[in-house]
Amino acid sequence: MILSTRRNFFKQSFLGGAVLLFYNSSLYGAAEPLKTLTFAQEDLFPKTKELNVDTASYLLLILDHSRISTAHKEFLRNGVQWLHEESLRLYGKLYYNLSRQNRQEVLQKISEYGWGESWIEALLTYSMEALLSDIVYGVNKKDAAQRWLGFRAGLPHPKRAYL
Amino acid sequence: MMYDVCIIGSGAGGAPIAYELSRAGFLVVVLEKGKEYKEDDFNKDELAVSRRELFTPDLKEEQHVIYELDEHNERTRYVGRSEHQWSFWNGSMVGGSSNLMSGYFHRMKPNDFKLLSTYGEIEGANVVDWPLSYEELEPYYEKVERIVGVSGEVVAHSFLEPRSTPHFPYAKLEENRVTKWFDSACKSLGFESIPTPRAIIPHAALGRNGCSYSNFCGSYGCATGAKGSARVALLQKCDATIITEAFVYKLESDAIKVTKAHYYDSNMKTHEVSAKIFVVAAQAIESSRLLLNSKNRFFPYGLANNNHQVGKNLIFSAGGAGEGRFRFETLTYEQQKELMEVGLFFNRSLQQWYEYKKSDKKIKGGTIDFLFEHQNLIPRIKRAFYDENGKILWGEALVQKIHKELTTSRVLNFEVFNDWLPTDECFVGIEENVRDKYGIAVGAIHLYSHPHDREVGNDLAKKAVQALEKMGASEISYSVSAAPPPNLVAGGCRFGENPQTSVLDKNCKAHALENLYVTDASFMPTGGSVPYTWTIYANAFRIADILHKRLES
Repeated sequence: MILSTRRNFFKQSFLGGAVLLFYNSSLYGAAEPLKTLTFAQEDLFPKTKELNVDTASYLLLILDHSRISTAHKEFLRNGVQWLHEESLRLYGKLYYNLSRQNRQEVLQKISEYGWGESWIEALLTYSMEALLSDIVYGVNKKDAAQRWLGFRAGLPHPKRAYL
Repeated sequence: MMYDVCIIGSGAGGAPIAYELSRAGFLVVVLEKGKEYKEDDFNKDELAVSRRELFTPDLKEEQHVIYELDEHNERTRYVGRSEHQWSFWNGSMVGGSSNLMSGYFHRMKPNDFKLLSTYGEIEGANVVDWPLSYEELEPYYEKVERIVGVSGEVVAHSFLEPRSTPHFPYAKLEENRVTKWFDSACKSLGFESIPTPRAIIPHAALGRNGCSYSNFCGSYGCATGAKGSARVALLQKCDATIITEAFVYKLESDAIKVTKAHYYDSNMKTHEVSAKIFVVAAQAIESSRLLLNSKNRFFPYGLANNNHQVGKNLIFSAGGAGEGRFRFETLTYEQQKELMEVGLFFNRSLQQWYEYKKSDKKIKGGTIDFLFEHQNLIPRIKRAFYDENGKILWGEALVQKIHKELTTSRVLNFEVFNDWLPTDECFVGIEENVRDKYGIAVGAIHLYSHPHDREVGNDLAKKAVQALEKMGASEISYSVSAAPPPNLVAGGCRFGENPQTSVLDKNCKAHALENLYVTDASFMPTGGSVPYTWTIYANAFRIADILHKRLES
């Protein structure tokens, strides 16, 4: 129910529109923000996939939240652009068209920049939020991360989604 | 309708008055800006409560302007509009921030009531004695123990305050066995380890359930009702009228009396309430803001502000925080099991240096509370994001580090509480050009920390470090800074005998008005070296008695 509503948000949100990319001072093409963020999150913390946590759906959920500022959303979107531009500069391809090894090398490179470190930190944080979210939000259906970490506190669970 | 008493704010400063006077048969109305939540509404949803701050106003809609004066005399201005800015909100809901407190309860000591005469003047600070003694407040501390519910164990130590009863009415909460390591370390160091009293009842009593040891006390509402919030302990047990989502933006007065409180409801519709007596308890910053925003032709500088004292001498709890980590590698199997016991409390404090000597001078010290790192998972995991060289980690290296940190080690924290000296540079004003969602001028918080505060904080933190070292902790660190804890705020309408230097009289009634009382932490001219909530509760019960007599007569 919640995620279905969020998909409507996606159509109109900053994640729905393409990001224009520039390479060698001219327009190169466009990239899909959500696809980029999903790839980057899986590359940064593959454990979420192993634990069946749906980080992409969580991004749709959380980036619609009133307490996430427009400036922060713009930063995430700019990061998508800069990531691809770094990828083009290093390998001549969009980030999500690279091999796993090359994607890691792009991440390594951007982590040396202030924006890159902050962007990685933000994506990791959202991955952790998805990973540890309550079942009620529908992206961590089996409390898998809590079991992975042997976490036994945190009761009672919410009866409804407060986010 | 004419109420006997109109209370603005339903937290620890307002609820005891609503409780006592409504139970005595008086007509009481409470105007609360937040919503009403009950035990069934509370859970441990970290994303909603901690990450997105469900219970505090959104800074995009309601903000403060903050001016920070640093030690180089440079002032920085912040407008708290985004989630990355400083928030001074502390729980907007029935019962206020007492719903979200950790409930570390210490009484102030007798000397806290006479700081000036005991320890002397400090240059650059407005230290004064209270117009009230510990002995006068003691019966109300005891009343809070019984009615709100305080659990603990009284043990003899150098600064145990005089008590009218030998024991707490509720036995201390169950403790993690690591407390024994702490007690043993303290014994060998000659430190006096004392069990920390908590405003949490260990078993069913007072019509409430006992503690379920689910953890997550601080920042979270209590789902069992064991934590002594003003809501569960008082407001749910009286028939005072509580109007929620009522933001009081102005008090109307003539030359001698407040006549009406004006408020907006959630639909931005205005209402007014008439009463014989008005009690302001909106938490220190907002109480001063309301008075300053209530100027009229009789009080052109703000209500009760004839002598320009409203908002002045804002204080926080000075001190800082530190930690040490215990790792499996250095522990026996039995110790590892003890360390990872969840749910049980680490309730230990040190008050041995509540007063100490330095260069032959008597110094007012403070309290050190020890506690396990908060159970919130996200901040604990985020600490693993960086390696020892400060480089961000990801992938398998991060997976391994998170798992190791969370499953084979645990952090013990400490918090230092000492006096935040009142000064001319720390105060609340009004920022006329910045308006909140109601269109009302927001509060301007001017921050300044006296260097003496940090010196004392450092002295105390070093003692805490000794205890952690003796226990065998590693990665010990601490921070004592000029940054105030936004949840430990007081002052702004200090009480005193001289109207030239105080806003309120000894009874917390405004010097300048016959029927205006301020009963949150605003009244405190100095804050003691303990968290404030117990004292706020006790003083509000004291004022309730005074108002009861006044209304009867």
